[in-house]
Amino acid sequence: MSLLSPSIHYVGCFSLVLIGLYVVLVKPNLIKVIIGINLMDTGVNLFLVTVGYIQGGTAPIFSEAARQPEGMVDPVPQALVLTAIVIGVSVLALALALTIRVYGHYGTLDLRKIKGLRW
Amino acid sequence: MVSPILLIAVPLGLAFITPLLGLARKGAPRYVPAVAMLFNLLVSVSLLPDALRAPIVVRTAGWAPPFSIHLVAGPLGLLLSSLIALIGLLVAVYGMDYIREGATTRYHVLSILILVGATGVVLTGDVFNLFVFFEILCISSYALVAYWGDSASVEAGAKYLIQGAIGSSFVLIGIGLLYGAFGALSMADIAANVSSVSSFRLFVSLAFLITGFGVEAAVFPLNAWLPDAHSSAPSSISAILSGIAIKAGIYAVARVVYTIYGAQSILPFVALLSVATLLIGEMCAFSQNDIKRLLAYSSIGQMGLIVFGLAMASATGVSAALFVVISHALAKALLFLASGYMILRTGSREVSSLNGMGTRMPLTSLCFTVGAFSLVGLPPFVGFASKFMIVRAALETADTFFVVLLAIALIGTVIEGAYFLRIVQGLYFKPAPQQAREETRKEPPLSALVPVGVLAALIVAVGLYPGLVERALGAAANDLLDRDSYVQNVMGD
Repeated sequence: MSLLSPSIHYVGCFSLVLIGLYVVLVKPNLIKVIIGINLMDTGVNLFLVTVGYIQGGTAPIFSEAARQPEGMVDPVPQALVLTAIVIGVSVLALALALTIRVYGHYGTLDLRKIKGLRW
Repeated sequence: MVSPILLIAVPLGLAFITPLLGLARKGAPRYVPAVAMLFNLLVSVSLLPDALRAPIVVRTAGWAPPFSIHLVAGPLGLLLSSLIALIGLLVAVYGMDYIREGATTRYHVLSILILVGATGVVLTGDVFNLFVFFEILCISSYALVAYWGDSASVEAGAKYLIQGAIGSSFVLIGIGLLYGAFGALSMADIAANVSSVSSFRLFVSLAFLITGFGVEAAVFPLNAWLPDAHSSAPSSISAILSGIAIKAGIYAVARVVYTIYGAQSILPFVALLSVATLLIGEMCAFSQNDIKRLLAYSSIGQMGLIVFGLAMASATGVSAALFVVISHALAKALLFLASGYMILRTGSREVSSLNGMGTRMPLTSLCFTVGAFSLVGLPPFVGFASKFMIVRAALETADTFFVVLLAIALIGTVIEGAYFLRIVQGLYFKPAPQQAREETRKEPPLSALVPVGVLAALIVAVGLYPGLVERALGAAANDLLDRDSYVQNVMGD
């Protein structure tokens, strides 16, 4: 435990990414695949926030003139994550819209049965 | 002098005004992409001479690099943005009449966005911005691949989206690792400090970035989405995807490998992958009966050739690769656009249904033949000049490794010749199918003939006078290879 504790956040983020990747690779259901993509996104976003985090840090807002920048978390990764979340949402929306159309055409969400195209 | 930032701002603004214009006048949206791309073409070409002297660095919000989000309009960026605008303009003109069914306004909005994304990718000087523009490009292309809404295109769109989304996640992880190591997002800033971090950490982030961008660049083994996506999209979008979108992916890979990391040591591995990409693409193309899938696989093959040139890391090699980028963009856009109307007239995508087209649609067939010959690499077309430059560059390295790979790559060209000559033979020397419909005798409308004709003329013109682009190519290759002056130009004063 003591071995992991300094980097426990990173272990958490990359576990999420790996779980997501596993779901995408293994599950045959299109909705589950999309959930997997979303899990990956969440893991990556957590990772980005973790990169800029300081143990016990505060928000980087200079509310009083006397505030020192030490102990403040890095705001840049949080700005990146906001952007990444928006991108993730739009990909998710598009994916679900496509899923509805796929279901309309094939009557199934099982990727093993959706084989209109081939090599 | 106009600011390069307009290259992104103006089309982006026009894209979102398009639906409003559609409310005001019903026919208006279809002209907007052409206007936007005409603007971009004029601005890019007018800025190119300045950029050849010194890259134009645009600071946003008054912050100097490395803190700002900046654009770096160097020779490479502007050369590619001119190419994007040129192909975009011709495809936009083609799309005016070609796209008649479905949500046409949304088609035009998305087709501008895909081009804005590509322009942003080649102009940005910031890693995260690179990702954002990349996503604009990707998300609009997912939607456009599924544009027809039939079972094949929806399935292709879903497949492309799943693979693209995983690629994007990888890119973001790579960017996170970079930010963790350097605390910076400016490419120049990272490049200046790259030696201060252990090579293992660099390698991990580089691997994530290459894998992520490699999905869009269709480098083997990440190219499973490409044949489905390119063949199911509307032909005008196939032209953009094959001509521009995958080039943006390869630009991102090259920028990351050369400028940010200066990672020459992975290049032999990349060269092996490129030759595998080339051979697999060409062999799959050879066995196709569907004309659009054939063209899509041929794009994979050509991407292999481009990566092969880039992997040589010599000035000639990189200029040769960029020359192939140009020649492939022109030829493949031409082939997709020309085959679009042939498919529309015959109602079939079978290669055999194109038989006898030479007498029924003579102008389109002639242009198609020019494009096919150029891709194979026959003189006097531009494909010959670019492939010849690759051969010259590989021999110049005087490295047995590259010469052997070159020999294998040329086998790919022979396969390419085999299937393209088969199609051209069908166009002219085989009788038309018995049940050929009478309407197959009609040439496409002028809005399609003009772009196709212009592309064919450019292929011949640049093929006869490679000097037209040679100076820009040399400067662009230098832009990519010379990290020190890139850093100096951006961080400068």
